[in-house]
Amino acid sequence: MTAVLELKNVTKRFGGEVALDRLSIALEANEYISLLGPSGSGKSTLLRIIAGFEKPDAGDVLLEGRSLAQVPAYRRGIGFVSQGFALFPHLSVFENVAFGLRNREDDPLRDGAALRRRVDEMLGLVGLADLGDRGTDQISGGQKQRVALARTLVADPKIILLDEPLGALDANLRTRMRVELRRIRQQLGITFVHVTGNEDEALAMGDRVAVLDRGRLAQISDPDSVYNRPESARVAKFLNCYNMFEGRCDGDGVFQTSGASLSCSPDGAGPGMYCVRFDKIKVTPAPAASQAAGTGIQATFITSEYSGPRITYFFRGPGEKVLEVEYHLSHQRPEEFSVGDEYWLSWLPDEALVYFQ
Amino acid sequence: MGNRPFLRSALAFYTLLFISFLYAPFVVLGILSFQAGPEGGPQFPIIEWSVYWYEHIFGLTPPSRVAPLPIGEALIRSLSLAFMTMVTSTVLGTMTAQAFRRRFKGSGFVFYLVVLGMIVPGVLVGLGLALVANNLGISRTWWGTAYVAHVLYTFPFAFLVMLAIFNRFDRSVEEAAWSLGVTPMRTFRKVTFPLIFPGVLSSMLFAFTLSYDEFPRTLFAAGADLTLPLAIYGTFSVEIHPNIFAFGVLTTLFSFSILAVYGILMSLSVRRARRASIQEDIE
Repeated sequence: MTAVLELKNVTKRFGGEVALDRLSIALEANEYISLLGPSGSGKSTLLRIIAGFEKPDAGDVLLEGRSLAQVPAYRRGIGFVSQGFALFPHLSVFENVAFGLRNREDDPLRDGAALRRRVDEMLGLVGLADLGDRGTDQISGGQKQRVALARTLVADPKIILLDEPLGALDANLRTRMRVELRRIRQQLGITFVHVTGNEDEALAMGDRVAVLDRGRLAQISDPDSVYNRPESARVAKFLNCYNMFEGRCDGDGVFQTSGASLSCSPDGAGPGMYCVRFDKIKVTPAPAASQAAGTGIQATFITSEYSGPRITYFFRGPGEKVLEVEYHLSHQRPEEFSVGDEYWLSWLPDEALVYFQ
Repeated sequence: MGNRPFLRSALAFYTLLFISFLYAPFVVLGILSFQAGPEGGPQFPIIEWSVYWYEHIFGLTPPSRVAPLPIGEALIRSLSLAFMTMVTSTVLGTMTAQAFRRRFKGSGFVFYLVVLGMIVPGVLVGLGLALVANNLGISRTWWGTAYVAHVLYTFPFAFLVMLAIFNRFDRSVEEAAWSLGVTPMRTFRKVTFPLIFPGVLSSMLFAFTLSYDEFPRTLFAAGADLTLPLAIYGTFSVEIHPNIFAFGVLTTLFSFSILAVYGILMSLSVRRARRASIQEDIE
């Protein structure tokens, strides 16, 4: 596979703040990349630099091997769908989609019939065939999203950048748009870069997930690796599915954290972060602690949260630390814990991940 | 606020007072313009209601001791000057405001430099301009020196209006156009301009009305051919007749009609949107 887009040591500062710090990444043709990161990690800046709306302070962006440093945004052939959709409010849905074809610098489409055919075809693809005459204030959020997408797709870009494309939609619509995006992508075969702050979305959409942290690439790999084997404690933290304990290990397989000693694999020593995923934890009544296999921690039950396919239990561990335990109801039965009682949370030592600083 | 009723009536009274101060002179003017002529003067009581003085303006009355108002050419001059000023100031104001969207180096300084034009005393600007023109051997004309003075004065207003418009402008629609392969020039024409058009209208209105009745700057800069405010001022030095009032009424009506045109243009886009949404309700 050849890299369709390559960023080399891209650095960007705003005032004194470093938004991107010598970031390098290569995207392959027809790939769907999710760019995950907390707000302020530089993910939107990265997208804006690729699109050509911002200039990097250092480093280079290459499209199909050619530098984009001197190429303005309107000559890059890179589509951009912004978070607020940025539809042209003075134009109808049809005219929004036709805008690029009509007005582009390179080979504008003047033939009315051909224009209508292409726009109608694209509106059909995104499921808006009947809404061409509507104004942009007469359609719902999800429909606006589709118009923004159709407007970008019809221009036939090499790459499409999506800046938190589902952020402005409600949960129900978000799931539907995910399916829609995947379908469109399969039909067209374009490289997508999808920026999101939502870990579920990143894992669900990406062929590969790139995790951005403080302007640097923290990890880039397939969703399964990101989820099961995060490369650093910070990546684990963004995934929002790990209980994390700060402490140190002396190389003897015992990790010391405030108020507890936890077993871990015996390789590695020093101060670090001990992480165990929410759904790897077993809960037993406190007196049975001695019989429980593996390692664990004693904690007080606070409350639970039911969310359909799973239930999340909240415990208070040593040092007021809130711990989360997740039961997947498809293969576990929900349990009744009483508020204020002590329980023993246990897991297998090799399920735990330890990151040394 | 415990005594709300009191506050309400106090505010209502204040508003009434404000409006009467605003319009009372005009009402008096309007009434006196219907004074009998040519013997009736610019004072109460009304001898007899008539439209004599209106006819007098248009030269429809038999010759009398009251000379016709010397306004025909002055009116044409003032309208042309206002139109020229409006176009120039609005174009300049829009371009300058567009430049200010990027915080370029020294933008703060340039901002105050531009706004200075509406702050410095008008008489001094006019006088200074006349002196400079004389020194350079440029003759003073309403379409030359006075035009420059008017643009200097109205440009900051147009600029500030456009600056406010651009402050609320969502630049992501422009970026969307660029990413579709549309050049910045064409993006401005097809996206930016239609969206800022209400602001452009407002700044045109400002520039036109400010220029149309500009007096202190024009006084020294206009040269021999007078603009309308100068011509009217000139008649005050002889004797005041109600024909001035009649003309005042007509020119005020003209101003109102300009405002009406502005209002109609302004509401056009709004109405279109509303009609569209009503259509949606029916569906």
